[in-house]
Amino acid sequence: MSEIILGSKSVQLLIALILVSTFMILGSTRLYSCVRAFGIQSFLLACVAGIVAYSTGKNDLYIVAALTLVIKSAVIPYIFIYIIREIKVKREIELYVNISPSLIIGGVLVVISYYLIRSINIMSELSGFALSASMSLVSIGLFVMISRKKAIMQMLGILIMENGLFLGAISLTYGMPLLVELGIFFDVLIGVLIMGILIFRINKTFESIDTDMLKTLIG
Amino acid sequence: MLDNYLFLGLFSFYLLGAASSVIFNKNDRISAYLSFISAAVASIFGIIFSFSVIFGNTFTLSIPGSSFLDFGFFVDKLSAFFILVISIAVFAVSIYSTGYVREYFGKKNIGYLGFLYNIFVLSMILVVTASNAIVFLIVWELMSVISYFLVVYEHEKPETRKAGFIYIVMTHIGTGFIILSFLIFAGTSGSFGFETFHAAGAVMPPLMKDLAFLFALIGFGAKAGIVPLHIWLPYAHPAAPSNVSALMSGVMIKTAIFMLIRISFDFLGAGTAWWGYLVLALGTISAILGILYAVVESDIKRMLAFSSIENVGIILIGTGASMIFFAGGMTTLSAIAAIAALYHLLNHSVFKGLLFMGAGSILFSTHTKNIEELGGLIKKMPVSAVLILAGVLSISALPPFSGFVSEWLTFQSLLLGLIPVFKYGGFNTFAMIALSISAAVLALTGALAAFCFLKTFGIGFLALPRSKHAEHAVEVNKPMLLGMALFAILSVLLGIFPFYVLPVLDRIVQTFVGVSVFSQSVSFGASGTIAIPATLITLSTPALLVLVLIFALIPFICLYIYNRKTPAIYETWGCGQPVSTPRNEYTAQAFSKPVQIWFKNLYRPVTETKATYSPSPFLKESFKFESRIEQVFEQYIYNPVVDVVLAKSRRAKVIQTGSIHAYLSYIFGTLVILFMFVIAGGSK
Repeated sequence: MSEIILGSKSVQLLIALILVSTFMILGSTRLYSCVRAFGIQSFLLACVAGIVAYSTGKNDLYIVAALTLVIKSAVIPYIFIYIIREIKVKREIELYVNISPSLIIGGVLVVISYYLIRSINIMSELSGFALSASMSLVSIGLFVMISRKKAIMQMLGILIMENGLFLGAISLTYGMPLLVELGIFFDVLIGVLIMGILIFRINKTFESIDTDMLKTLIG
Repeated sequence: MLDNYLFLGLFSFYLLGAASSVIFNKNDRISAYLSFISAAVASIFGIIFSFSVIFGNTFTLSIPGSSFLDFGFFVDKLSAFFILVISIAVFAVSIYSTGYVREYFGKKNIGYLGFLYNIFVLSMILVVTASNAIVFLIVWELMSVISYFLVVYEHEKPETRKAGFIYIVMTHIGTGFIILSFLIFAGTSGSFGFETFHAAGAVMPPLMKDLAFLFALIGFGAKAGIVPLHIWLPYAHPAAPSNVSALMSGVMIKTAIFMLIRISFDFLGAGTAWWGYLVLALGTISAILGILYAVVESDIKRMLAFSSIENVGIILIGTGASMIFFAGGMTTLSAIAAIAALYHLLNHSVFKGLLFMGAGSILFSTHTKNIEELGGLIKKMPVSAVLILAGVLSISALPPFSGFVSEWLTFQSLLLGLIPVFKYGGFNTFAMIALSISAAVLALTGALAAFCFLKTFGIGFLALPRSKHAEHAVEVNKPMLLGMALFAILSVLLGIFPFYVLPVLDRIVQTFVGVSVFSQSVSFGASGTIAIPATLITLSTPALLVLVLIFALIPFICLYIYNRKTPAIYETWGCGQPVSTPRNEYTAQAFSKPVQIWFKNLYRPVTETKATYSPSPFLKESFKFESRIEQVFEQYIYNPVVDVVLAKSRRAKVIQTGSIHAYLSYIFGTLVILFMFVIAGGSK
């Protein structure tokens, strides 16, 4: 059954598009377009969940898909935009690693993830495709956290990682039990709220949200 | 069934004491009375409970927990003996504390002290009753951490904070080694239950046994204060409130001895002779070095802490001798040595508790611990002086006090050990030399201890007050006197009636050595029979008491006969001079100077004299003399190690940049390397 769903061209296409959206985040210098790309990525993820739900006939996956759609592609981007507007931050993201090297590193990470999943050799090639995409998302999310200065981008990075884990869960087991998923959504939402508050505090204290400046807490 | 209720009662009264002291925190007086009196009540439960186990059956209590961890308690005769020692000490110290903490009323948080005190005592009880390595480690840590908080109770003083730091570092180094030792056992037995350790000890390869023993010796040695792991005692004991030092020095360090006996005899079967030699050597070194440092110390509580090192040394001499004999197959001798060790342990907890309480009383009424500032206290606080004198005589091992009996027994066990050597040419010459050296050093230790406490009592209590502090001293309050009196009486009783105590100890020792000394008479060969009970009775303590009293009467009789005139009253130490002032008196420093000169290679004293002259070179305006002794172990072992560790840490600090991006990069780099590792086929 898994072959039928994940092998189906539509899911493959969606996963490829998710990767593309991730590269959109890597490749843009504007905060708004990063957030927009994240919204698109989450929307595509919701579509994947929907298709999986449809083809496996698991009804609770519809709830998961709907929650993804609402929380990740609407509420969270809205919170981001609200934060950006409220603290009147410069719209440009500042980088440690420039755009073109970032894209190259992203590509390398995707290749590494692909080889990694292939070498583990635990499943057929097709669901492996989804898993390697999820692995790429996790590592690119981490890379975004490292290479961007603004605290908002660290927040975004961790959400990309979360999306990657979600994709992995969907592709391996067709989603975790509903209760767990609900817990995770709740976690993500609260996490974003707390991180948002934290960003306000950082902005208030340092007149900036560059995490570059938070260096004094060493022994 | 009764045991269950007793154990429960003991447990709940300590908890009650802890809780009530916090609940009534608002009122210092009520809080103090509630917490310390319920600790005293709990300790009565403890005393009854331990007797019930010593004369009855082993007590076990299992509280089922998870599959991983059962909160089990196991009390055999050895544990019961330690519960007895703890409970006796806690009873007297708690009564003393109700008076002693009045010092802190209105200044410090009494509820906090009462809470820590109760939990501290409870944790010590749990340490000697835990039946599972994990539970043991939890309560052991609890004991260490709570005692740390008690040490830093007067944390507003910087030296107290330093003392606390040294203590907590040393105790955690010790815990690290204890964990290693337990892991070796658990690796063989596959379980953390102590009952399986016994079986594991029987099947472990010799190397593993040696390692387990060594780690346990280092780990528990750090808590017991064996040289060279002793450095925390002279800092922590003076820093803690005196009632707490009485418990820490009198009882807490003994829990380490308990676990050493448990591990070497019970778990490992004590089959290896060199363990015994090692313990004997460490005990001997601790005894002599401890007392040598005590002699030249002028801070009373610090002096007592060094003396604790000495006494732990004496206990270990007994334990080590017992292990040597046991490994050599001489179980009766082994049992005698073990009895000597346990008896000294009991006695030490009594007289050291008494002396620390006495030091607390001095501190309470004079606000100084420096012996050079005391003097003449026997007139200001006569009752305390007499009670402290009892402790001083006991720790100096003078008959008819308790210290004498146990040190005598330790000697006898060492000397008896030489007899089979003479008879049969072995164990071996090595044993003979080791036992003789140890006995000789023990004799020197006893003499120095007497010297040390003569100094303390003589300088502190006799003659004229040397400072305002001592002049304004007043007798301490009733509960404090009562607490000290209990211990003073007990140390006399233990000195006069050892023959009631020794059979009880014999029952306890029988459980781990396997031989009862009192139920048999043992022959060492065809030619001569040494009935061991007879050797114990050779020393008739009541007769000795009579003898001592007679000798004590002689000076009075002489005075009566030769000096019927009314005596002329002069100032003490006046030497016939019309005026004598405190400045004419013998000082503590001067008194101990001979010892300092004899052992100057050890002390490496640094003396400085500075004189400032008035315009005329013949008139000195002021004269300053300063003398310090070097703490060899700190200077040559600990400080270099600390320096190296700090230097390495500073170098490693480079990776701690403070930048969140750098930290994330570490994670990312590690992740990518692991990916590569898997791709390269590392998982296969």
